[in-house]
Amino acid sequence: MAGYNKKEEHAHAKAELHTHGEEHFREKHLMLDPLPRGQMNDMVMESMMEKPTWRYWLVFATLSVIVAYCLFYKWGVLIMYGQGEAGVMRPDYWGIFLVNTVFWIGISHAGTFISAILRVFRAEFRRPFTRAAELMTTFGLVQAGFSIFMHLGRVWLAYWLMPYANQRMLWPNLHSPLTWDLLAITTYLLSSTMYLFLPLIPDVAMARDRSTGWRKNFYKILALGFRGTEGEWTHLRNAMNIFAFAIIPVMFSVHTIVSWDFAAATRPGWSSTIFGPYFIVGALHSGMGAAAIVLAVIRATMKHMKYFIRGEHFDAIGKLMLIISMAWAYFFFNDYMVQWYGGDKWTQQLLHFHEAGPMGWMWFGMLICNIAVPWAILWNAKWRATPWLIATVGIVINVGMWFERYIIIPVSVTINRMPFTWRLYEPGIEIPMGIGTLALFILLYMAASKLIPLIPVWEVQEGQMAHEFKKFGRETVISVSELE
Amino acid sequence: MADNISSAERSGSVSSAEPSGSVSLLAVFPDLMPAADALDQLRALGLSDDHMNVISGIPVTEAMLGRPSQWTNVPLLAAGGSILGFLAGAFLVFATPNLYPVPIQVGRQAFVPGPPTVVVLFELTMLGMLLSTFLGVFLDSYFPNYRPMEYVKEISDGKIAIFFICPEESRDKFTKAMTALGAEKVEVAEVEHL
Amino acid sequence: MIRPEEIKMSTEETGKWGMVIDQDICTGCQACVAACAMENNISFVGEVDSGYGRSMHWIRIERFWEGEYPEVKMTAQQPMMCQQCGHAPCEPVCPAFATVHSQAEQLNLQVYNRCVGTRYCGNNCPYQVRAFNWRAYKRPEPLSNQFNPDVTVRRMGVMEKCTFCIQRIHKAQDTAKSEGREVVDGEFTTACAQACPATAIVFGRVDHPESLVSQLGQRANGVKHLEELGTLPHVTYFKGG
Repeated sequence: MAGYNKKEEHAHAKAELHTHGEEHFREKHLMLDPLPRGQMNDMVMESMMEKPTWRYWLVFATLSVIVAYCLFYKWGVLIMYGQGEAGVMRPDYWGIFLVNTVFWIGISHAGTFISAILRVFRAEFRRPFTRAAELMTTFGLVQAGFSIFMHLGRVWLAYWLMPYANQRMLWPNLHSPLTWDLLAITTYLLSSTMYLFLPLIPDVAMARDRSTGWRKNFYKILALGFRGTEGEWTHLRNAMNIFAFAIIPVMFSVHTIVSWDFAAATRPGWSSTIFGPYFIVGALHSGMGAAAIVLAVIRATMKHMKYFIRGEHFDAIGKLMLIISMAWAYFFFNDYMVQWYGGDKWTQQLLHFHEAGPMGWMWFGMLICNIAVPWAILWNAKWRATPWLIATVGIVINVGMWFERYIIIPVSVTINRMPFTWRLYEPGIEIPMGIGTLALFILLYMAASKLIPLIPVWEVQEGQMAHEFKKFGRETVISVSELE
Repeated sequence: MADNISSAERSGSVSSAEPSGSVSLLAVFPDLMPAADALDQLRALGLSDDHMNVISGIPVTEAMLGRPSQWTNVPLLAAGGSILGFLAGAFLVFATPNLYPVPIQVGRQAFVPGPPTVVVLFELTMLGMLLSTFLGVFLDSYFPNYRPMEYVKEISDGKIAIFFICPEESRDKFTKAMTALGAEKVEVAEVEHL
Repeated sequence: MIRPEEIKMSTEETGKWGMVIDQDICTGCQACVAACAMENNISFVGEVDSGYGRSMHWIRIERFWEGEYPEVKMTAQQPMMCQQCGHAPCEPVCPAFATVHSQAEQLNLQVYNRCVGTRYCGNNCPYQVRAFNWRAYKRPEPLSNQFNPDVTVRRMGVMEKCTFCIQRIHKAQDTAKSEGREVVDGEFTTACAQACPATAIVFGRVDHPESLVSQLGQRANGVKHLEELGTLPHVTYFKGG
């Protein structure tokens, strides 16, 4: 054909590839797919204020009934009739209440990981779901707080554990890991709530501008009169930076101190020096799984969320889940190998009891759920980007991690140095109460999804501003500017 | 001046902060570059940085717009809070064991034990730091502030608004200059309930 | 007010009150268990709870055997109660200071009024001798008339354990003081030692070399259980002699 030659064809094809490449990037990456801020605001407001369907109300009502009966009524029974309603006895003085406490604190750590550690490391993919993760932290800590109060013999006197000047001139015992627990968890709860609130202020200001009636009043109060002046942004950004850096050591210290409740004790199997980092990695393991579940549910049930939460985010979370699973396996093996090798007769009995005793199925289940399933599925990039699959792996990991804490607490504590006392723990009222805490967690989340904007739109826009396409030689690459 | 505007408004007398015969205008820009150009233009027209403020829906740094750096007390308050937290922890660890008629002995541990001291001091220092950082935002930004303020709803839609005070007689000149540089609207800044 | 320097740390103490238990002559009759329960107002827990590990006994007789049926051989009975450790692992872990070390008596005290029921002390005791009030156990009539007025009745949610009959210690010391003398060895003893028909339990001052418990403690085959944990228990056991 006249005028048509190889060179033109080549150039034409390359031009197509170029635009197709960019389009492909735009589809995959939220940061490269900017929409006008007004439109994004609209989407977030719509997904929040969308009239709840009958399905929503059905789930809400069911959860409310479960919370009322399993959590509050049963707790009343527990307080009335004593810890005998639970399954605890000699030698298992601690049972599922402690398992649930560690479990919920573990889940809360992933929220901080996503909103603080990923911010410090400038992982841009975190932008749309930091708030969803922080909500997980706050609500998880509420459940952890409930669970720890549930196990107290005289919970109405729990205020004695606080340091306050009193007529008896008594202060709490600072030698005790439980006192450190109290200080650490209080610090963490307050810090993560404040860290949830600070980036929320500009978004509730946006919601205030776009709503009427009771919602407008509600957001107006929450927004504190925020406008977006230079001063306000400077103070806010400064504070958020301080929080992001400071809350990381707090997060590490909290779960380490929780692990010291066990590691500081003289029990075989508990007195292990590796518990600190082992528990932190375990917390991240279960927390990442929970984050995947939460994001998958949000994406599936709320309008417009498919724009904000994409396969790339599940891919990133899936990669984190795989790495953390490997780290967990490393720490588990460390703990196990050193105990196995040591030859201490009580520890040998304990390890044998773990694997071959009546709860052996749980021990093996833990390993399958925490190691085998993640390693089998998460290596595949396509699978990682599939929300429901990652959420399922998340559920499996959470089951496995709950098993792990059950093995560490009630099962390990059965084997001590006084064989006459060895007896297996049988859960009692802890089961419905634990289910109650799970129902309350979901309930709080459902309420929050209708009350506050779940996506930090200003952070998403900030990220989108920083991303652009750049040509490196013949290739089009993504370039991220550091705007701070 | 960013906070001087709000303090003037809080005292309820906006005009007392401005020379008589001046008016406060709000120019709304859709993007970063026009806003930066507009600020240069305002400076060229004789306004000092003190009489301008930028209100935006995303945190544009002062450097992006050629604005002087904004001072913030938040890091100072954070440092102060961490000291207070440390002192609270030090009281618990060092003072309380000595408050009893007979010091309480538990196990083989000293009355002021080493590792627990580290833990308690660390936790309370961090608590002090983070609480005071949070309070610092409130104090520095004069939150909560529910009085009527100058604001337009477009700002939370990502627009960049420049709030400036200019003499009444040159109002048209300034308005034309802003519109020429791409302002979507230039209006008198009405104080309104947010 | 006593200054910290004046306190003798438990590393320096030899212990004041102690016991010697001869496992070879213990018959396992559980008279000590019954006597302790009567002396210290211990609750009746019932068959179900007791079978589930919730018995409130402050002293228990541990029975072991060797071999498979029918070639089963009984080994020595092991009365186990609070060892009143010099370095008690239960003490540092209570967040409310409900279990502390007594300087005067060099015993491990349990302060019922302060206990919030976290049960960390129960977990941390290597001898597993602590009993928790899992329920509000009622004394059926007319056994409620049997309460010992010298001993508190504990309520639900509180931890308790053997106190070496501290009420008897104090009573003897008060009597001796009012008569202007020291307590004589053998003047009083704990409920369990008093009830034992085989005299397997001997109680007294381990820091006075002329007391019976000190002299018995000199015997060669005395062991302290779980000594390797560094708990410094005040009870010496004889076995296989």
